[in-house]
Amino acid sequence: MVLLPKGNPVKENANPGKINLPGALEKLQAGKFSGYLRFDFPGATGVIIFEQGRLISSLLDDGRERLIAYDAIAAIFEQSLEGRGRLDVYRLSPELALSVHALLHGDLLYKGQELKLIDIKLLLARLKELAITGCLRIYTGDRVALIFYREGNPLGFFHDGSVAIETTADTSMSVARLPGAKIDVLTTRGVGEGMLADLLSSADLPALWQRILESRRSEPEPSATPAPPAEEPETVDPAVREAESRDELLATWREIALRHLGKIGGSLVEKEFEKNLGGALDTAALNAFYERLGKSARLVAGHGKVNSMVEEMGRAAQEKL
Amino acid sequence: MDLSGLQVILWLVAGLVSFYFSIGNARVWTSISVGFFLILFGELLPKAMPFLPGTGIPQVEAMGLIISTIAILVMSHGFQEYYVFSRTLELEGNKSQVYLVTLAVIFASQIFILINPAPDADTLRTIRVVGNANWVFLSLINIDLIRKIYLNVKGSPIGKGFLAFIAVFVCIFLWKGSELYIQVYRLDLPAVMEAYPARYQISQITNLIGNLLASLSVGGTFLYLARLLR
Repeated sequence: MVLLPKGNPVKENANPGKINLPGALEKLQAGKFSGYLRFDFPGATGVIIFEQGRLISSLLDDGRERLIAYDAIAAIFEQSLEGRGRLDVYRLSPELALSVHALLHGDLLYKGQELKLIDIKLLLARLKELAITGCLRIYTGDRVALIFYREGNPLGFFHDGSVAIETTADTSMSVARLPGAKIDVLTTRGVGEGMLADLLSSADLPALWQRILESRRSEPEPSATPAPPAEEPETVDPAVREAESRDELLATWREIALRHLGKIGGSLVEKEFEKNLGGALDTAALNAFYERLGKSARLVAGHGKVNSMVEEMGRAAQEKL
Repeated sequence: MDLSGLQVILWLVAGLVSFYFSIGNARVWTSISVGFFLILFGELLPKAMPFLPGTGIPQVEAMGLIISTIAILVMSHGFQEYYVFSRTLELEGNKSQVYLVTLAVIFASQIFILINPAPDADTLRTIRVVGNANWVFLSLINIDLIRKIYLNVKGSPIGKGFLAFIAVFVCIFLWKGSELYIQVYRLDLPAVMEAYPARYQISQITNLIGNLLASLSVGGTFLYLARLLR
């Protein structure tokens, strides 16, 4: 279980199996994003950390083992394509993103101590005495707050909704007051800006994604009574098929919008697609997408042009889905 | 040559076209078109039609000048909103909010005028200088902002409409800039006018041509936009 406060939410509750993850990571890189992507799968949690557009860290923890770097990214891709994951994206300051990276790769000194059972003053005095660099993680079932320390001296707080390390303790302390609050003490090794390699620039993630997609396509469906190979129909994972048709549909819609509205049309399609079609591609979601896209598009084109674009998109959707 | 009658007719057309445009189009256009519409009320009617009721009363004249300043503020706000949209593709607010806030600001300005002593000639001159300074500097800022909007929406049907707005603000800059120049250097005082007759003449002609071109380009731009957004 990876316990981290939520930061400033950029995207929550998305299905990573329905997103072209290498493309999304490249967009975060181009946008100089700082923050983290959290993947919650049925048996594991993955975290990918960006600092000013550099993918500095990745981790997948299933409770038994921890994968890091490319192994973690490959496992995250694989589990995402199974279609049962959840993706949340949170923005942080670059400094905080580095601290979170250091924290994830740090060592646990004390774990799961009941706050009401420990002498917190004594603990803090001990941290100071040992000149610990790391953090206190205070948490309940659904809330987490971090208090960062450098050489025994408190640096600041990070709690749900924080973007940077804060100097006020209110929210962090309110977690400590909740019934059942626990505390972990973690030690970290400081990580300086620019010291970490950018995993995105040193690996071909689109190729990795493609390999996983292809290997999933060629995997036979598990069957209790295997039939002779000649009679077995070709099976394609529904999640993979849906991810592919999504990508195809988005590319077609982008092309239509570019033709009608220019480059801003392509950007509008991408934005509204991400906003409205993160879940199932059903009629209600498609109608909401057309409505919102039409509304935005009317700022750069007339009703006639927008209507003909939306109609063309509707026809393309019928062919593809 | 007194062209104030022609100016009023041209601004009346520009004002009506821009107001009509604000009703039939997306919310982000409301501030821009309402701003252009207010120029008609704020400046041209009182100046060109001295027989209108209330003309000559200092409070009414001051109010006209303030509405003129509100006009450039409202349209600049509209262009800022459009720029934010062109960068983030996010839209907020609604049309009635724009109309109500503009009316509230005008009402608050009216109260401000009424609770203060009647403005004398010096006060009116100061208000006019402040208004013109706002017009001149915001015109320059708007030219740059519209250039950036154009780069963001280039290739879309509306794209070239923003080039027309750049032309509008260049005309407005000449119109208001020449007026501000006359006011700052007091070129309209007989003694100064005699000492620098060429400067005064050039400024006056620039002011007149800038005003006419601004009214023509505003009306033309909104008609062009209406065609583009049909």
